[in-house]
Amino acid sequence: MIRVEKRKEPLRYQGAVAASSAVVIAFLVGCVIFAGLGVHPLTAYLAMGKGVFSSVDAFSEVLVKATPLIFTGLAVATAASMMLWNIGAEGQLVWGGICAAGTALFLFPGMDAWLVIPLVLAASALGGLVWSLIPALLKAKLKVNEILTTLLLNYVAIIYMEHLFYGPWRDPAGFGFPGTAQIPEAAHLVRFAGTRISLGFPLALLCAVFLFYLLKKSIWGYQVLVIGKEQRAARYAGFNVNGKILTVMALSGAFAGMAGMVEVCGIHYRLQTGLAVGYGYDGIIVAWLAGLNPLAVPITAILLGALFVGGEQLQSVLGLPSSISLILEGALLFGLFAGQALGGYTVTISGRSKVAS
Amino acid sequence: MSAPVISLRGLSKRFGPVWANREVDLDLYSGRVHALLGENGAGKSTLMSILAGRYSADNGTVIRHGREVSFNSPAKALDHGVGMVYQRFMLIESMTVAENLALTVGKKYGRQDVDHEIRQTAEQYGLAVDPEKRIFELSMGERQRVEIIKLLMLDAEVLIFDEPTSVLTPPEVDALFVVIDRLRSEGKTIVLITHKLEEVLKLADDISIMRRGRLVISEPIEARQMSRQQLARLMVGRDVVLRVDKKEVAVGETVLALQGFSGDSHVGGPAFTDVTFEIKKGEIFSIIGVAGNGQAGLVSAIAGLTRAEAGTITFAGTTYTAREWGMAGAREIAYVPEDRYHSGSIASMSIADNFGLTRLQAYKTGFAGMLLDREKMAADGSRAIREHNIVVESGEDRAGTLSGGNLQKVILARELTRNAKLFIAEQPTQGLDISATEDIWRVLLECREKAGVLLVTGDLKEVLSLSDRIGVIFNGRLLEVIDAHDSDQVDRVGLLMAGVRS
Amino acid sequence: MIEDLIFITQISIKSSVAVLLATVGGIITERSGVLNLGIEGMMLVGALAGFAAGHFTQSPMIAVAAGTLAGGLLSLVHAFFTIALRSNQVLSGLALTILGTGLANFLGRPLIGQTGVRIRQLPIPLLSDIPVIGEVFFNQSPFAYAAYLLVPLVWFALFRTRTGLVLRAVGEDARSADAAGVNVELTRALSVFVGGLFAGLAGTYLSLSYTPGWKETMTGGQGWIAIAMIIFCTWNPLLAFFGALLFGGLTALQFFFQATSMDLIPSYILKMLPYLLTIGVLVLVSASSRHRKSASPADLGVPFYREL
Repeated sequence: MIRVEKRKEPLRYQGAVAASSAVVIAFLVGCVIFAGLGVHPLTAYLAMGKGVFSSVDAFSEVLVKATPLIFTGLAVATAASMMLWNIGAEGQLVWGGICAAGTALFLFPGMDAWLVIPLVLAASALGGLVWSLIPALLKAKLKVNEILTTLLLNYVAIIYMEHLFYGPWRDPAGFGFPGTAQIPEAAHLVRFAGTRISLGFPLALLCAVFLFYLLKKSIWGYQVLVIGKEQRAARYAGFNVNGKILTVMALSGAFAGMAGMVEVCGIHYRLQTGLAVGYGYDGIIVAWLAGLNPLAVPITAILLGALFVGGEQLQSVLGLPSSISLILEGALLFGLFAGQALGGYTVTISGRSKVAS
Repeated sequence: MSAPVISLRGLSKRFGPVWANREVDLDLYSGRVHALLGENGAGKSTLMSILAGRYSADNGTVIRHGREVSFNSPAKALDHGVGMVYQRFMLIESMTVAENLALTVGKKYGRQDVDHEIRQTAEQYGLAVDPEKRIFELSMGERQRVEIIKLLMLDAEVLIFDEPTSVLTPPEVDALFVVIDRLRSEGKTIVLITHKLEEVLKLADDISIMRRGRLVISEPIEARQMSRQQLARLMVGRDVVLRVDKKEVAVGETVLALQGFSGDSHVGGPAFTDVTFEIKKGEIFSIIGVAGNGQAGLVSAIAGLTRAEAGTITFAGTTYTAREWGMAGAREIAYVPEDRYHSGSIASMSIADNFGLTRLQAYKTGFAGMLLDREKMAADGSRAIREHNIVVESGEDRAGTLSGGNLQKVILARELTRNAKLFIAEQPTQGLDISATEDIWRVLLECREKAGVLLVTGDLKEVLSLSDRIGVIFNGRLLEVIDAHDSDQVDRVGLLMAGVRS
Repeated sequence: MIEDLIFITQISIKSSVAVLLATVGGIITERSGVLNLGIEGMMLVGALAGFAAGHFTQSPMIAVAAGTLAGGLLSLVHAFFTIALRSNQVLSGLALTILGTGLANFLGRPLIGQTGVRIRQLPIPLLSDIPVIGEVFFNQSPFAYAAYLLVPLVWFALFRTRTGLVLRAVGEDARSADAAGVNVELTRALSVFVGGLFAGLAGTYLSLSYTPGWKETMTGGQGWIAIAMIIFCTWNPLLAFFGALLFGGLTALQFFFQATSMDLIPSYILKMLPYLLTIGVLVLVSASSRHRKSASPADLGVPFYREL
């Protein structure tokens, strides 16, 4: 008889075990799919790898993709450190984009870069923040489940953004193309050495470091982590749980809002359909793969970015649909669960000694 | 007496390193009420959960009608006619009585017959209940009746009640006793897990007493003509050995005074009503009572975690109304809570981190006090480990890896460093072994040199070893305050705990 | 005017079928205590499988069966991870949507622009001749009729049969259900599977009838609408009919305003309304559940461990 028991003590390196098993399982799923399509898995993975690492240009695209993912990953990780679900990073990203574009286009169109960039950044953070405060207030005051409200508000945000660039904000000189006019050059984020990597990337890294230290070194962070781990202890210690819901979600929304800003001011230079492509949802995977550790978020974001770029490469080299990256993304997450489950249990085969998995 | 309906032989069960039951032999007879007594954690509920198929025993056998049987699920036990009414009812609150019963017995009866059968069973045993009502609309007494009907409809022969009166009002208790009497006269076997002596004397035919997982006595109640006093003594094992030196300490100013303090229980059980007492620096004041008599709500209100409704509280010379106190929050009180695993500590955090839980004020540093002084936290943690002989590898060990005794010492050490005027310890040694218990007792005795100590416990031995004065709480009221040095009076504590005031 | 109304109502019902089916399936799943946010993914896979089967076999029956089953099979992934491994239900559901979307887009790439079978409107004799009502309700696709039938059927199964009682018990209080001798894991797994079948059928409707063909974005977020609708109708299949119709009505109004160039209500407001209304319902449900039991299954999202 085989008995599976819940492990009382988590494995020491459980996060790393789970994340690596995620990668292994995703890899295996990819092998099966490629083999099923009659493509040698090695050929396929080589093509993906080559697409990612063959040139500085190629790899720079990975970092370009990773930039918004770091922000949304941090947004999800912030909320999750208090066991709150922010499924709404997508909508907060959209509002960040709207506010960034609006500020650059309409509020301060003629201003110098050194002034307008901080303003645009602040506006985008504020946009995401305000949007995330709606579910936060509903949760703190009325105990409304934040999973559903954050999720639903994504659609509201996207529909509103589409309304803006199909309607009142549409570029009058755009020949009916759905999108706003280009934002003034002063609001463009500086790009590095001929790549599309913008100032957003170092900014994202900075935010990761900031969040790491905030959680580890501040009183606020300590309280947030305690509430996330043990609500009863937090109540015993007299922490203000509702207040923390608001501040945690606000910070989370601000991060997601900045993702919208780096997309608008670093890549698209306008508000258009390409803004809401699911980075908010990908952020959930980034955060959980990173075990909610802010310093690991950039790593998993780059991993996911590489997957996207590799997928595109697969399409142009081998003619395989780039949506393989979506499948692998899903497989990564399921692999993570498998890893967590393995790490969270001990398997006993009766009559024998314990086999740790 | 006829042959036993069911017999347990050599039953043992371990949870990790702790023996919940050890080598237990027990015989149950039909048409008799068997009382199973013991303190909290003596292993009564575990033993009966094994019999009801919810836990599996590590060793030992269950013999039913002379044949060895094994119950590996509640359903299997019921097939053999053994059912249990748990303290937490196994009823689905949003569903009706009929739906709940149909869920359990539906396979046996057709859906149409269930309603008919409910009414018939209810009538036969005097268990009035409306089948169309939803469970959450019912009183606790009614819910209990549903559980009993459930077992009867499944033709249970052996009915186990786990502290059945703990959630009932006095009239409901009387009604339950009538039902149990009826069941007995119908030839059912009743097991009554309890620590209330009144009930035992009123109902029981046979009596078994458990202590620390072992059965110390099992015999018919007539055998000894047992009195309340004898029972009380047998239950708590009044072999109080003072292994702690109790130094004389001069009594100082009044630290805490409650006047007519009343409030709801926010944690279940009855409210507390009109509680008045005071604690001086240099003394240990104990509140003793059987669990669920209002002490949990009282402590949480004194600690400022919940708000009392009426009365005043005087702390360190300032008097607050119940409302003001709740709002002010008792930041000046050190408090070791009952639930050391989920309230007092965070299992997944290090010992050092656990030191911050109630002491954040002391660790504020940098940026207008927004940063956390982790070095100081770690230093405090390490010092506590040294000073209290806490057995760990380092202060970075997670609290969850500690034994109960070591964890309790960490919490105690943390609360001590707050240098509070009042120190509350709630069930501080529950579930701990003897040496850890003694260590914690020593700390509490030391603590009274600098503060007033409020000890809340259900452990008579603990109270007698430590207290200067003893308040007995029963049904939300402080019945009497007794001087711990007056040995005649102290003998009455056990009875007072059972609500007997003679 | 009357014709406009008939047109709007007819389109409303047409546009509500997929959401209705997915919602009812989701109710079955959630009533057993499992949250499955993967409906969108299961719908897409169902849509693709239905279309592909139709394309290759030209048999409407096989197409519908394949699409339905595909949704069910994908749901088993969620069942395995959340019930057997007790993975987080929110994350697993999201992963399922990502996986399903990826699979459908990946495998469906060669089928874009191809033709498959098409299941057309099937006027019901006699009933469809009733003025107005006949045109609106009985001149629909077989999917719509199936949905009409399934709604009361599921309601009956949930609230009037022993199977439904067991399923709801598991979702309300798994521990008590277990004590009553119910196999909690199996019940939950089956409920997830049935929910998957419904989502698959919903997707099949989209690719065989509503907008025949295969397109990568063909569900257009209807799976998420369904998740909102489950809450909107407080886990009651009969109310799902109205919830779905509301969604269909808002969609139809957009068509209508577009076709007639009327703009009484801006279309973006119409599009937002289902989400905003659902948030409104969530708030109401939370506010009222402080005083009495909420409609939500009490053990929704809570993994079940049996004590050893």
